[in-house]
Amino acid sequence: MINILLIAFIISLVHMGLSKRLNTYISVLAFQGILLFGVAFIELIEINVVNLLFVLLETIVFKTIAIPYFLNYVIKKNKITRESDPFLPDFLSVVIITTIIIGSFLLSNTIQDPHIRKIFFVTALSALFTGLYFIISRKKIITHVMGFLIIENGVFVLSLAVGTEMPMLVNIGILLDIFASVLLLGVFVNKIGDILKEQDVDQLRNLKD
Amino acid sequence: MSLSIAILVVIFIFSFLVISVKERRKGDIALLAVLINSGLSSWIAIQALQGTPFEEKFYGGTVFGEIIIRADALSGWFILLTNFTMLTGILYGRRYMKAYENRSADITLHYTSYIVNHSAMIGIFCVQNMLGFLCVWELMTLSAFLMIIFEHEKMEVLKAGINYFIQAHISITFLTLAFIWVSSHTGSYDFNSIADYTVQAHPALSFMLFLCFFIGFGIKAGFVPFHTWLPYAHPAAPSHVSGIMSGVIIKLGIFGILRILLLIKVNYIEAGYTILVISVISGVYGVMLAIIQHNVKKLLAYHSIENIGIIGIGIGLGCLGMGHNNSYLAFAGFAGALLHTLNHSLFKSLLFYAAGTVYQAVHTMDIEKLGGLIKKMPKTATLFLIASLAICGLPPFNGFISEFLIYSGLFNGIVANPLSSSIMLVSALFGLVLIGGLAMLCFTKAFGIIFLGAERHPYPAPISEAELPRLFPKYVVALFILFIGLMPQLFIRLLSPVVILFTGSQAISGMPGSFINTLQTVGLSSLAFIILCIIIYQVKQKMTAARKITTSTTWSCGYTPVTPRLQYTANSFVRSYRKLVRPLLMMRKSEGTINEVFPQTTHSDTHPYDRFEAVFIDKPLKSLKRFMGRFDFLQNGSEQFYILYGIAFIIIVIIIPILIDVVVNLINLFKQV
Amino acid sequence: MGILNFILIVAASLFFSGIVIRSKSIFSGRKGPGIFQPVKDVWRLFRKGAVYSETTSFIFRIAPSIYFASVLIAIAMIPFGSQPGLISFKGDFVFFAYILALGKFFNIIGALDTGSSFEGMGASREALYSLLAEPAFFILMGSFALLTGHTSFHEIFGSLHFGSYISYAVGVLAAFVITLITLIENSRMPIDDPKTHLELTMVHEVMILDNSGFDLGLIFQAANLKFAMYGGLIANFFLTPGSELYFSIPIFIATQILFAVVVGFIESFMARFRMNQNPQYIFTLTSISLLIFLGVLLILGKIV
Repeated sequence: MINILLIAFIISLVHMGLSKRLNTYISVLAFQGILLFGVAFIELIEINVVNLLFVLLETIVFKTIAIPYFLNYVIKKNKITRESDPFLPDFLSVVIITTIIIGSFLLSNTIQDPHIRKIFFVTALSALFTGLYFIISRKKIITHVMGFLIIENGVFVLSLAVGTEMPMLVNIGILLDIFASVLLLGVFVNKIGDILKEQDVDQLRNLKD
Repeated sequence: MSLSIAILVVIFIFSFLVISVKERRKGDIALLAVLINSGLSSWIAIQALQGTPFEEKFYGGTVFGEIIIRADALSGWFILLTNFTMLTGILYGRRYMKAYENRSADITLHYTSYIVNHSAMIGIFCVQNMLGFLCVWELMTLSAFLMIIFEHEKMEVLKAGINYFIQAHISITFLTLAFIWVSSHTGSYDFNSIADYTVQAHPALSFMLFLCFFIGFGIKAGFVPFHTWLPYAHPAAPSHVSGIMSGVIIKLGIFGILRILLLIKVNYIEAGYTILVISVISGVYGVMLAIIQHNVKKLLAYHSIENIGIIGIGIGLGCLGMGHNNSYLAFAGFAGALLHTLNHSLFKSLLFYAAGTVYQAVHTMDIEKLGGLIKKMPKTATLFLIASLAICGLPPFNGFISEFLIYSGLFNGIVANPLSSSIMLVSALFGLVLIGGLAMLCFTKAFGIIFLGAERHPYPAPISEAELPRLFPKYVVALFILFIGLMPQLFIRLLSPVVILFTGSQAISGMPGSFINTLQTVGLSSLAFIILCIIIYQVKQKMTAARKITTSTTWSCGYTPVTPRLQYTANSFVRSYRKLVRPLLMMRKSEGTINEVFPQTTHSDTHPYDRFEAVFIDKPLKSLKRFMGRFDFLQNGSEQFYILYGIAFIIIVIIIPILIDVVVNLINLFKQV
Repeated sequence: MGILNFILIVAASLFFSGIVIRSKSIFSGRKGPGIFQPVKDVWRLFRKGAVYSETTSFIFRIAPSIYFASVLIAIAMIPFGSQPGLISFKGDFVFFAYILALGKFFNIIGALDTGSSFEGMGASREALYSLLAEPAFFILMGSFALLTGHTSFHEIFGSLHFGSYISYAVGVLAAFVITLITLIENSRMPIDDPKTHLELTMVHEVMILDNSGFDLGLIFQAANLKFAMYGGLIANFFLTPGSELYFSIPIFIATQILFAVVVGFIESFMARFRMNQNPQYIFTLTSISLLIFLGVLLILGKIV
């Protein structure tokens, strides 16, 4: 069951690479939240109840509901339209994401440690690199934030992989989520939307000294 | 409660107090803190000088190992002279800073840094654990930096401060290197392990280690060619900070060198020659460049380099004496160096304080715009005169005593040492005499142009003498200068335990006695001289009491009456000297051209520059910038590229081991075939 | 008995300047003023009033006294054959040179005090020339210290004896160096012409243009005393230790007179060097001192 959920996760990454509309990005992020909820539930059923409840709550509340809501609010408030043409055409994006997934699969094969389950590792690495790729190849600032959220999801998956032995690690993964939502989005919602009229990353180039 | 903990507690309490009181009181709180710290440390120091060294051990955890705090006679001497100058510094400083009272945050930072700096210096003299030493050294550097950049809104002050900061860190790099070298071989962080290590190591290695330490401490002390930060940092800092920097902070380098000489078993003759050569060059170069400066504080800064050279000559002589087993030379050299450390801190700080008072009155540091100040500020002028006489090494003041000791050592060395060293010593003698003569040229110019004659430029505001609280610390220093000059034997007696540390007590059992007698005669002769001056002056007053004494304008050979613009300027005073040594200097001239038949006003500027700086600092910096400029395209401001760099790095780091594995497998495969 | 040298040198200063001027006059075919005329001039100045410039400060008023006092103390250190001076200790020639430097310092700042371009010029030249002449003196004394193994005036001259030819050569060279140092310090020919009327070519005389009255008298007498002092130094070369007083005093006076005549001779028959090249000429003295040092090394057999 876990494998199915994680494979669905990976496919959702590819879907993100395909589309151009911001709403799709947000709905994919919400979907990933639900998937992660499922994985967390199955994986961490052995740890004590309070921790489990906390993790489950966090996954549902933050990843599925709160963050997509924030993002929607920001998009509406700043009247951001769809993502403009990215640097690389769509087809190339998909190819790259697929390469990333295959690459992480090959990489995880070189690790001989029996304790790590390969599927988690593959998922985490692909999410990580896909998130980074997202940041590189998109122009709008809001998409950069989404890329960062994808990276976060990947880190969360990795922390789930060892969650039974080290529940603290999962908590740290959650803290990363909370950090992203509170700090980044808070800042975005309030400040950057007011200052930067355009939403392009090129404006940031002026900060160079 | 142990004394070190007490000092730390004092720092914390008083820093907190400084932050919380009003501006008017901040200086007084700092003064109190410095007083308490000085009291505590002087008590230790005096005991150490009397023969009971102070020792304390702390356990610093697994990182530091055991931290030992030892204060022996050498630390004692330096602690005493540091405390005195820091006290006069804060006494003068709190009056000086009154002009800046409205900048509350800056002033708080300044006074806190002062307290921390003082305590850090006491720590440097006592801490004998390598890591602990580096920590305290860094603390001292940082607090000194914060004090220097008080007027940070001026660009050149900031640049000077950063210059000092960078060079101070180069110095600490050398020290760290040397410490790591030793501790990696001996496994312990205690200073005494340096001694153990060098006893069994190869002499060439010991010498390299010694050079490493020497460069590290030499950058701090200001030996040539490591001196380029000094002439920028001293003018940029407020005057009392310049005074304590010249007075005690650069002496930390000297202390370091002396401490290393005590610990490392190096070949004393080689070390002595090295130190001697570098010191003579520093001394002569420092004063040669000091003469042509037209910013008062820069002139004084170059003079500090020269005096460090003189101290270095003393140390070199002491080492040579130890190497040749000539106890007279060893005593004279080290005693001269140590006494000159004290003397220099006194008269240099006095010069800087007086220059600071002048600056606050006329708001310019350019000598060419000053003149005639003696009539408006007679007391400051007299103090400056006393300090100038002392720095030229003229009797009856203290500068003469330390130079006399070094001369005695030199002559004895020429007489008693083998031939090769005699020739070196004659060159050192030549250098020292030249230094003395050049210093006289420099300070007649400085004192004469600033205070005498008439003003060369109209002054912006009416000038008045500084008030008594500002003059008081200067009087104290001046009295001390005179006291050392007239009673030098007391200080030699105080110094003897320190020199004994170097030479071993049995070698110099009779030495202090003969020196004390000679110096007593010197002191008495100086006293006789002063009395004679007074007698002759009184005779003159008596004989001319009935005669007519009138005043008139200065004689100008019957031509137009004298205007202030006809006076000799500083530049003209040193012109013949400058023409003599032109190949060694670097002057930058910029002139407006004269084209018309009846020219209007034009200008001509001359700025002295430092050849060593051009060669050692500017050229490498330019090549570095050119080289790095080729990679400019990498920093294009787009964050996406930066993340791309990161991803590329991660991929490379992951792939390379895999590739290596594959290649190794292939090779094995080919081997089997 | 140290007071004897003091009295002798002071006495010699009374007629030294007069002999120089007299010999110069005789060499140029005139009769010349009396031998004690300079002293009478000084005495006249001591009884006159003074005019001080308004630009000057208290420095100008005390500088001549300090200068005079420094010369007196320096004289007190000159030995006389086997008798030490009033002040004698190891390394006392360092004190000797530096106390004279103190006098020069005050001379220079006294000149700068007037705010006139003439004095400033003289002060600048004086500072430069004296700084260039110092190393020669010190290296000379260093060579003698090396030769005799002692470091005070009294002991050096006490144990100096001339044996081999080289030592005579060294002695002659040393006397030559000291003579030239005297000429430089007192600003005589060939460095500076005391009879020039052009301020642009003066070194020492231009520094004292504004002094008058008692101060001027002090300065003139100090110059005389310096001459006699250096003459006394040279005389020490010829006073072998242990001689009786009735031998040494006539030798002393004869040396002073001879020295004065030689100075007059040099002044009459040599033109002044070009002012621009004075520094180089003064610096040659140092090279000669180095030669003396090498000579001493030869004598001692340290180099062959």
